[in-house]
Amino acid sequence: MAQRQDIVLGLVFVALGLFMAVQALDYSGATGRYPLALSVALAILGLIVAGKALFRETDAERALTVHRGRLILTAAVAAGYFLLVPVLGFYTASVLIVACLPVALGFRKPVYLATVTVVFTGTVWIVFSLILEKPLPAEIWALQA
Amino acid sequence: MDLIWQIVVGVVSPGPLAAMLGSSLLGVFIGALPGLNPVMAIALLLPLTYSMEPLVALAMVAGIYNGSMYGGAIPAILLRIPGTPAAIATTFDGYPMAQAGQASKALKIACWSSAIGAASSAVALMTIGPILARGTLFFGPAEYFWIAMFGMASIGVMVGKDAVKGLMASVLGLLLGTVGLDQLSGAARYTFDQVWLLSGLDLIVVLVGLYALPPVLQLAEKADLKGLSASALRLDRIRISWSEIRSFVPTWGRSSLIGIGVGILPGAGGNIAAFLSYNAAKNASKDPDTFGKGNPVGVAAAECGNNADNAASMIPALTLGIPGNVVAALVLGALLIHGLQPGPQLFHQAPHLVGGFMLQMLLTAFLILAVGGAAATRVFAQVQRLPGVMLVPTILVLMAVGVYVINGRVIDLWVMFAAGLVGYLLEKVDVPLAPIVLGMILGPMAEQSVRRALLISRGDPADLVTSPISAVIALGTLAMILWPMVRAARARTR
Repeated sequence: MAQRQDIVLGLVFVALGLFMAVQALDYSGATGRYPLALSVALAILGLIVAGKALFRETDAERALTVHRGRLILTAAVAAGYFLLVPVLGFYTASVLIVACLPVALGFRKPVYLATVTVVFTGTVWIVFSLILEKPLPAEIWALQA
Repeated sequence: MDLIWQIVVGVVSPGPLAAMLGSSLLGVFIGALPGLNPVMAIALLLPLTYSMEPLVALAMVAGIYNGSMYGGAIPAILLRIPGTPAAIATTFDGYPMAQAGQASKALKIACWSSAIGAASSAVALMTIGPILARGTLFFGPAEYFWIAMFGMASIGVMVGKDAVKGLMASVLGLLLGTVGLDQLSGAARYTFDQVWLLSGLDLIVVLVGLYALPPVLQLAEKADLKGLSASALRLDRIRISWSEIRSFVPTWGRSSLIGIGVGILPGAGGNIAAFLSYNAAKNASKDPDTFGKGNPVGVAAAECGNNADNAASMIPALTLGIPGNVVAALVLGALLIHGLQPGPQLFHQAPHLVGGFMLQMLLTAFLILAVGGAAATRVFAQVQRLPGVMLVPTILVLMAVGVYVINGRVIDLWVMFAAGLVGYLLEKVDVPLAPIVLGMILGPMAEQSVRRALLISRGDPADLVTSPISAVIALGTLAMILWPMVRAARARTR
């Protein structure tokens, strides 16, 4: 499994190096020479990684994930959160993720969850909005009001 | 003398003092939570330091670093779960002591040993750092270029399991550092007509993604729903006598020296220092068979060793721009935020800040004794009652707010997310992340230096190695790259 992963890894870096090298050819003079040299070096190193893996005689187990379902779920919820931050506002989206993600991961203590959600979001509001006065994406309900 | 006075006054003013105290407490708290580590904590903290005074920002880094390295010992002793990778060796004797009803004593020994190790390390930084920095006065563009290359090569080769993958990560970091406007010609590179890319990839945004998202995803995969019960965290009350503390002095001396030596080496971390110190203490003991069965000297050696690595890892970072470990790379990032270019010129550009940071590393070492005392440790141990699934969304929110406030751009959230997912996958296939960060930090310096050197020499690349200093560093870089091949060839012939 590790062998196949390393071959793919090496080839991805070869492709990345070649893509960046082609881009660097468009930059004139010294502006392009440095990234071109680095891109070529990246492609060569990728080739070495893939080549080493190809000729390796032993193959080890190397799992990419511990629990694929939970990983994908968390990544999807995180992506949804980043999508919702500019739409719903920072605090509304944050309350949703703090309250919903643990439930999605199997947590079933509503009082505990509600307490942590309120205390945590309140602390973030006090630190970032009240004390540090950092501008954050406005809340949808505040905009409509 | 004026400079020393200026440093002391700056560090003991209310802002930096409060930052040191608060961040030391936060550091112990973070270290005590398995799954969280100082690297992640400092990565999350960095965006917040943009609007702070530099000495306040550096005080927070120093406090979190020293505090969390001790905090890692709390779950290591109570539960045999190292809070940080550097606390693995602490479990060997700490946990058997806890099982024998001596958890409180083991924690006190860990606290004292951590403070002694961290303080020795800070003294080494304060004495060796300025001497090394004075030597760098003779450096020109060619030397700066080779120093950057040596740093990249050494961290690439030493930090991971596979030297080629480490070098690949280094080159990737250097390439990412070229994104944006070329600082010498003003031409745009790898911006793909995106205005937000003209200023380059924000180091802190990438850094938060690389170092904070992978542990969050790992916590989610484990899905710890319960946390620990109160009974598992109950501590007894055992006093530790002065004569017993004095008996640890030889171990502390030996472990401090080992930790400082390991810290200076780029790529070697606190876990290596702890293991070497533990083995040295065992070898020096008249009763080595008691190690691993609850010998307090084992706890003292491991904790003193891993904390003695802390400030020492800053020596090559502050003087040469080559971080000894990832936290040192983050400190370089913190300096960049405040407009200071890490590397040989730093001691001459901002001596009061560098001196202040060194003093803060020393003061936060002693703060461990205050914030890591028995009562505080009882409180910190309780953080392990928090279910892991509750930490997942809270850290995600902290990541989002920290990254958003840097530039006020939603796109940065996506850059951080992408960097985090890539970081998660790269770590799984044994590609180290530290060289990527270091490449982004040192890349611009390396490029400007090599182009200036070539301008001076009218394009003759031979001039890059004509001075004795640059020739030596270039040879060192070559040796560093070739070393894994030599080692592999020797292993094959055996």
